[in-house]
Formats: sequence, C-alpha cells, structure tokens
Amino acid sequence: MCAPLAIAVSLVVAAAVPSAAQSTSATARSPRNASYTIDARLDPRTRTITGDEVLAWRNVTERPAASLQFHLYYNAWRNTTSTWMRERALAGARDDTRREAEWASIDVTSVRLIASGGGPADVTARMRFIAPDDGNTDDRTVVEIPLDAPVAPGQTIQARLTWSAHVPRTFARTGAVDDFFFIAQWFPKIGVLENSGWNCHQFHNVTEFFSDFGVYDVRLTAPRGWVVGATGVEQDTRDTADATTHHYYQEDVHDFAWTTSPHYLERRARFEHPSLPPVDIRLLLQPEHAAQAERHFAATRAALRFYGEWFGAYPYGHITVVDPAWQGGAGGMEYPMLFTAGTRWLAPPKGVQPEEVTIHEAGHQFWYGIVATNEFEHAWMDEGLNTFSTARTMWQAFPGRVYTQRYFGGFIPWSFPGLPLARDVDGDRVAGYRPAARQDVQATPTWRYWPGTAGAITYNKTALWLHTLERYLGWPTLQRIMSTYFQRWAFRHPAPDDFFAVATEVSGQDLTWYFDQVYRGSQTFDYGIDVFRSEPVGSQFHTAVVARRYGDGVFPVPVRVTFADGQEIVWNWDGRDRWKLFAVDRPSPATTAEVDPARVLLLDVNRTNNGVSLHPSTRAAARKWSVTWLIWLQDHLLTYGFFV
Amino acid sequence: MTALHAFRDGARRVARAPAIVAGTFALTLLVALPLAIALRGMLEAHLGASLAADAAARGANYEWWQEFMAQAAGLGTTFVPSIIGFGAVLQNLSNLVDNVPMATTIAGVTGAWLVLWAFLSGGIIDRFARDRATRARGFFAACGAHIGPVLRLGLVALVAYWALFRWVHPLIFGVIYTGVTHDTAVERTALLIRLIAYGAFAMTLGLVNVVFDYSRIRIVVEERRSALGALLAGGRFVRRHAGAVAGLYALNGLTFVVALAIYAVAAPDVVPAGAGTWFVLLAGELYILVRHFLKLTFYASETALFQSRLAHAAYTAAPPVVWPDSPAAESIANASPSALR
Repeated sequence: MCAPLAIAVSLVVAAAVPSAAQSTSATARSPRNASYTIDARLDPRTRTITGDEVLAWRNVTERPAASLQFHLYYNAWRNTTSTWMRERALAGARDDTRREAEWASIDVTSVRLIASGGGPADVTARMRFIAPDDGNTDDRTVVEIPLDAPVAPGQTIQARLTWSAHVPRTFARTGAVDDFFFIAQWFPKIGVLENSGWNCHQFHNVTEFFSDFGVYDVRLTAPRGWVVGATGVEQDTRDTADATTHHYYQEDVHDFAWTTSPHYLERRARFEHPSLPPVDIRLLLQPEHAAQAERHFAATRAALRFYGEWFGAYPYGHITVVDPAWQGGAGGMEYPMLFTAGTRWLAPPKGVQPEEVTIHEAGHQFWYGIVATNEFEHAWMDEGLNTFSTARTMWQAFPGRVYTQRYFGGFIPWSFPGLPLARDVDGDRVAGYRPAARQDVQATPTWRYWPGTAGAITYNKTALWLHTLERYLGWPTLQRIMSTYFQRWAFRHPAPDDFFAVATEVSGQDLTWYFDQVYRGSQTFDYGIDVFRSEPVGSQFHTAVVARRYGDGVFPVPVRVTFADGQEIVWNWDGRDRWKLFAVDRPSPATTAEVDPARVLLLDVNRTNNGVSLHPSTRAAARKWSVTWLIWLQDHLLTYGFFV
Repeated sequence: MTALHAFRDGARRVARAPAIVAGTFALTLLVALPLAIALRGMLEAHLGASLAADAAARGANYEWWQEFMAQAAGLGTTFVPSIIGFGAVLQNLSNLVDNVPMATTIAGVTGAWLVLWAFLSGGIIDRFARDRATRARGFFAACGAHIGPVLRLGLVALVAYWALFRWVHPLIFGVIYTGVTHDTAVERTALLIRLIAYGAFAMTLGLVNVVFDYSRIRIVVEERRSALGALLAGGRFVRRHAGAVAGLYALNGLTFVVALAIYAVAAPDVVPAGAGTWFVLLAGELYILVRHFLKLTFYASETALFQSRLAHAAYTAAPPVVWPDSPAAESIANASPSALR
C-alpha cells in the first residue's frame, strides 16, 4: 500500500473519536469499545440500503490487532453456496423457488482509516474474504482488512466504511415483504477481538451473533410518512420532500436493528414497579392486530417485572416491541432495546401466543442484550437461560393456558380446554428434546451443531437442566445463582465456565458431576420401576421394588412406595447402579411405587415408566381414549365418504 | 319440484327408512371398531401398569401423550390431541381440503369403507327411489344388481378425484394461492384469498361430485348397465337442471354446516373415564348418526329431485328383482331326462 497509509495507520492510535464515542463517560455501563455513527438510506422500491458508517474501535485485549475483521451477514444469502445456505440445505430446507430479486447482498464500496491530523487512508483494496470456520471460499460473510501498524492494547482505531446492501425477502428474521421492512445484521460489523485472536465467525445457519458494546448514533432515512422503530431512543427527525431522516442514539448496546412500514399502528404504555426503574414501551402493531395491543403490553410488562425481580433491572428506560407483518418472517427475534413478537389475526385468548414469544424476546434483553454471550459458540447461554426464564414467567403471569392447534392452512385455531399446558413439560419442551438428546454434546460450539437438532440442544435441553437444577437446589438458590451471574456479567461477555463457577460459588456445592453430564456430555436420563410386588407373608405384606437406571445419566432420585393404609416410605437412591432393590415388610399391602416422585429430574426422557400401580387405571384410560379416537375415525370415514 | 321440496322430500324418505340409517351407521361403526380396539391395545401396552394411566383416565395426560407419540408407528401416529371433541372434525376437514396424506392403515380402511359404501349405494338409492320398504332381501338384491356399473363408475370417479387432488389442488394452492399471496403482508387478506381458493376447489370438487351422484342415481333408477353412459346422462341432467341441482347441493351443504356448528358447541371435551367414557361414546355416536342421516339425505334428496325432474315424473324405479333359482335347482331343471333317471 502507499506510504501515506502507513503514516495514517500509525496515527490512528491517538485518533479523535466521532461524536458517539465521545460520549463515553464515567457512567458507562459497558466498555463501549465498538461504537458506530451510521447514516443510511432505504430505497423501498429497489430494496436497497446505502450506508456510511464511522466505526471507533478500541482494542480491549492484551494483544495487538494486526487486522480488522468485519461481519457482512447479508452475504449469507447472496446465493446457495454460502456456508449459511449449505448448512440450511443440510437440514433439508430448500430455496429453489426464491426469485432473483429476493436474495441479498452487501458490498463494501470503500474503507478508509481515519487518522487525526491526517487524511483518510483508503484501504478498500486490501479487503479479502476469509472463512475461518470451514474454509468455504464461496462464503463472503467475513472480510478482513490487514493493517500496516497493529492496534495496540488500549488504543482506538477509526474506520469509515461505505456500503450498499440489497434487502432480501426475509431470511433469518431480516428482510422485507411488501412494504414491511425489518432490517437487522445489515451493516458491516466488526468482530470481537479476544486475547486468543479475532472471534469473527462466518454466519451459520443455526447460530446468531456476538459483538462488543458501544454507542450507536444512527440516522435512518426512510420514505416520508413511514413509521420507523429502532434500537435506542429517537432523538429527532428531519423531513425532506419525500423522505424523513430519523435520528436514533443509544449507549451501551451491542447491535442496532430497525424496522419501517407505512402501516404500523403506534401504541405506547409504561412499565412501573415499586423497586424497578420505569420503562416506556413503544409498540408498533399491525393494524389487523389492533385488538391485541394490551396482550403485548401485558407480556412485556411481565417480562420486565419478573426478570427484573429475579435477575436484575432493565436499565435502558425504553423498549420497542415490533409486531411483524404476516409473512414478514421477522417474528420472535431480539435486538437491543427492540424485539419482534409475533401473533396471528386469530389468537385464542387461552393460547400461548402472543404472550410467550413476547416474554421470550423481551427476556432476551437480559440474556443476550445485557449479558452478552457468544451466540456463535454458546447459544445455550442466552437461548437456554431465556427459555427457562420465559417458561417460569409465562406460568407465573399467564397461568391456565391450553393446547391449541391450527387448521386450514394454519389460519384457523382451535383450543382444547381439556388439555392444559404445564410449565415443566411444555414450557421446557421435553418432547422436542427427547429425539435430539444424543445428537450433540452441548459443549460443542453451537455453530458445529447438527442443524436439524441444534434448537433442541440449545433451547430445550438447557431449559430442562436448569429447571431440574431449580428443583434440585430450590428456586431461592437458583435465583441467587442467576441474579449473581447477571449482575456480575452484565455488559460483558461471559463464557460457560463463568456461569458454572457462579453456580458452584452461590450454591456452595460442587456441581461438576451435573454439568459434566448435561453440558459436557450427551447422557440421557431415564429412571423407572422395573419390578413391584406386594405379597402376604404371614401377618405382613412383603413389598419389593426394583428401580432401574435405563439411561446412562446419573442423578440422585428418591423411590417412594405408598401403602393401602395411606402410609408411605421414601428411600433415597444415589441413582448410580443400574438397578436397586428396595424391600420392606408392612402390615398393609403397597399400592404404588414411584421413582423421582417429585419430578425433580425433568431431563428424564421417559416419565411413563417412573411410576407403577398394583391397581392401575390402564384399561379405563385406554378405553376412554380409544373411544375418543373411534369417534374421530368414524368422522374421518364420513368426511372422506364425500367421494361416494 | 324445487330444490327445497326435494330436500324436504329427501329428508322425509330417509326418516322413513330407519333401517338404512341404522345399517349404514352400523357399517361405519363395524369398520372403525377393530381399529379402535387395536389402538386400545397399543395404549394399554404403552401405559402398562404405569401411574400415568391414572392421570390419563382422570383427564388428559399430555406428557404421557407426547411420550406415546414419540414412539408410535402406524395406527398409533394418528392418536393426536386433535381427536378430542370438535378438533376431530376440524382435523378431518382440514386434512381433506389441504390434501394431507393419511397414515397407511387409515388409508386402507378408508378405501375399504368407500368400496363397501359404493356396493351399498345401489341398494340405498333403490330404497329411496321406491320410497317404500324393500326389506333386506330386496335391498341387497339391488346392491348386487347394480354393483357392476356402480363399481365401474367408482373407478372412473377414483381417476377423476385423483386427478383433482393430483393436479388441480396443487395448481390452486401450490401455484395460484402461493403466487397471489407471495407479497401479501396482511393475514386477513391471505385468509380471504385462501377462502376463495377453498371455494374454487370446493366448486370443482362439488361439480365432479354432483355429476357422479346423479350418474349413480341414473344407474339405479334407470337400471343402466353402462357406467360411462350413466356418467354422460348424469352430466346431462346436471347441466339441464343446474339451478335446482346447485340449490339442492347448497341446501345439503348448509345443513351439514349447521350440524357441525351444533357439534362444535356440544362436542364433549376431555372427561374422566368411567361414566365419562360412555358419555363421550353416546354424544359422539349421536353426532355420527346425524352425519349418516345427512349423508343419506344427500342421496335421497338428489334421487327425489332426479325423479321429479324427469319427463316421466311418475316413473317408478326398476321392477322387483327376481332371484334366480339356486344352482342346484337350475341344474335339475336343465338336466336331460336320462340324467334324472
């Protein structure tokens, strides 16, 4: 490169930072080492975004940075050869019906390093795509820019990038349909430098994101009259003849997403709590969901309340809830201070949506937004913790939900009042975990999970082992673990061992045996009653129970036997042997035997074999349900009898 | 006769033929019962002596249900929450109009049931056309007398319906609906378009259905031996009396919808075993009985309309069937005198 470049880069270390970074103060909650000043314009007709960003990046590691690495997420959907698309195909999904204009791209048109006292140095020609994870030369989701002079620890570099992006028909919750736009992962975004080097993964199908905190000072230009919602708080707007520029500013966040549409209804509410800071809630609602505004507010308030009480306060004072358009594909996704919920035009009042998804995504403000884990490598740390927290909040704030099924292309819902949902089964999603239990060891970096079952390992398994831990340690202890972890790691990037260390410290127990199985292993748990007899011997009844460990996971489980006289005996079993005999002589015959009667081990993949009765209701149950099925079959025959 | 008169007349004819209603109801029950017994065996086997059975007997043990579904194969895969109450109706209708494939076992029993109905349809239509009791002998004689052309017509119908679901359904829902709603961002709009798509497919299906209905009626009432001839004649009848045929079809369809609406409100939810089981059975079978009555009213009212709209309105159906002699009697009668010696 030319000589002035070297000079410029050497000057970078003392560079004056742009306005956003200048706001860094003693009150900063986060390191604020990746701050952006962005000016972007959306042309909805061509679905293009042209942008100009100034990045102020400070090296917070102990090693010099010889290069900069940026994510270019939109290139994951440039064609079918990207790693994201290949992994998606591996999971069985196909995109061969997608039209040409519905793919995405992001092209960086210039990169200049800004130095104080000197002109910008153009390093555009140095850009090269790299594929640190799989070597896929067709993947363009990570770009590296070598520097002449490394950025030393503690020093700051500024770079000015201009780019042009084509917004896809929605992929991975970013894109557009009709005139609904949800724009996320949309600008060139610097990776995270760690002491071990750049943590800047390619975009993978089963993972989300990881980035440093900073200050975002963003101006978005959209058509005049269109409603805009974004991370942070709107500062001002400026109108021109056909467009409006919306100015958003936010400190201590690690991403910035936005949405625009001419059709949003805007509703506002406020969260207030005796011991938590107030939060202004802005809801951008589809007109056809106007009647569901209060359901969204109630769920958001529930998340702010319970997460706030259990883990720590939401600190930003403002949150935007986005109700995406039908087919918008953007539902159920979190970004700092903004998230997408998701509902349907017909949403039964006793169904779980939109409450559950709203709580979940609002909850991500805590597990992801504030405690900013590496979702490329440890997605369970935000998704799993949050699924657990969601279930807990859901069943606390909105009890009595029932199973709902949708028919006729998914448009018509029908609720089954006789089929109530339960937190332990439905909230933790044991049914989804069961077939995926052995597919991956959770400690494997998430981006290397098998695409077809990554969700079950990330979300379901974590929720189940946390809920098991809740029942094993008690909620007060687990609550202290999670709140300590939250407080200690807010606005930082904890790793799995940081969570485990807090768990051990707060509980006062060495839980390695547990985390070795649920996190570092793929053991499955299945305890059951194999033999159960209670026979008269003289004046007594000899009762014998054989409990078995069918799975390879080990967990201490009690075995309880109840007797006809109402008495019961509970034996504690360490659960280590493959089987264990328990026997007793009592004047009364036994009636039931059950292993893990309190249902502590929610990871047990086969609950049906846990309890046995000497007088089971099997015939009655089977008769009842086969009669119900009989009516269904007769109705089926008559429905298809249409043809004769 | 107007469509309304034909509908009333049809309902009256069905009401005067309780044996037909009971017989067809019994047929459906008998076809379904063995599978229900088989399923009961699967449920018993999975529950074993488990305490989960207690919860499943008291109400709905959804956790056990999920475990059962996770290991279920064949028939067991159809044991899903949608079978409860009105969910069963929604699922069956939805599966039909959305062209959802059936489990193999269910497809087999459905096919067998349809063949049996096709066989019985000759006797059923004959009974309604005569509007008098024909007794079992007459009924089954009519079934047997018309089975050839009715089955041949059934084969043609099978091809026609297969083509509709193989090509027309994907065209409407896979190409047109998907294309039209590609950029639709409002669910209500998409639902409206889907309803239109359902309407278009239902009309196509209904048109084919009504032609085959009247073809079958013409086979029986006019003692036609040619299925193709009957098909053409049925088509002609539908074309020449399109208003009345459509009106009657709509009336029957409307009655069906009303019956479903009542069942939607009255269908039993999850109940405790014991008396609850019998309540579910009784309520469910009452609904199934009504469905049979409505289906037979379809047959009877269309038969009544056909009879009233023919030039020979006073037309009476085929003469009573005369049974042939038994093979033994026939061989004796045909034997040469020397053989009788």
